[in-house]
Amino acid sequence: MANTVIGNTIVIDGEISGDEDLTIRGTVKGKIVLSASLIVENSGTVEADIETKNVEVSGNVTGNITSTERVELKSDGRMVGDIKAPRILIADGAVFKGNVDMER
Amino acid sequence: MTTSRAPTTSPDGATIIGESVHIRGQLSGGEDLHVLGRVEGRVDLERTLVVAQSGIVKAEVSVKNAVISGVVVGNIHASESVEITREGRMVGDIYSPRIIIVDGASFRGSVDMGDIANMPSRNPSAERTRPTPIARPAASTAPAAARPAVTAKPGSKPAPAPAPAPSPAAKPPEKALEKAPERPAEPARPAVVTPLEPPAAKGLPQKAQKTRVIVKRK
Repeated sequence: MANTVIGNTIVIDGEISGDEDLTIRGTVKGKIVLSASLIVENSGTVEADIETKNVEVSGNVTGNITSTERVELKSDGRMVGDIKAPRILIADGAVFKGNVDMER
Repeated sequence: MTTSRAPTTSPDGATIIGESVHIRGQLSGGEDLHVLGRVEGRVDLERTLVVAQSGIVKAEVSVKNAVISGVVVGNIHASESVEITREGRMVGDIYSPRIIIVDGASFRGSVDMGDIANMPSRNPSAERTRPTPIARPAASTAPAAARPAVTAKPGSKPAPAPAPAPSPAAKPPEKALEKAPERPAEPARPAVVTPLEPPAAKGLPQKAQKTRVIVKRK
């Protein structure tokens, strides 16, 4: 399966939607709507509202996340915004500011 | 495309927009971009845009190189080259010093190769052996030499040989009459026809810099 990757030097300003996993190493501003997993890697910066199934954050995220399954903030992840998801994991070392809503 | 299916092999090399992904807005960057899905809006890259067969780009595109195997609707400004492959379809204008449209490709729009007046004369054979270093950075000369010239099929028309032209003139008139049945065959020779019909490149400077090019699948 083709994986979508937004590379280091790429800047996207707008809306991304899709049905497959998305890996972000660059910068995305705007909105992300996925029915699969979003992975924000170390070098990735996201300033967007996010609606996905899974989210894995190792980079920077500013914006609200609504996830149908799981949101994970890794130890080098930094996030500002609200998270709404049934399962939320925040690893030791992660930086987070915002509200958490685990209601299903 | 096999390369785009293995992003792990070149993690930093390229950005891939997968088949089911749709991006609307502005996209800019300094690396190669492979589009297997859909991109609408604007694309600014310092490197190569590759539109795979499944890819659709509806955007104003500004890149160094573009390779189109999918669908592009919009104008492309390329600092180096634009190639529309056999599977490629495009509607829009192309501004690029090198433009390659392969047989089977479909294209509607205008083509602007820039300052044609200052380009070296389009002697096709000469252009092939010596890629022009003026128009392009040195790094690109190697692949440039390997690719066919833009307007294509230069090899089929060698420089008009002076030999055939004088030969009929040298003949006495009577003999020319005797040889009448043979004469119709002569114009069929490419060497005789070419001087009358100037190669496409020669006509370009007169037609300003815009040319309508339509290539249809056979």
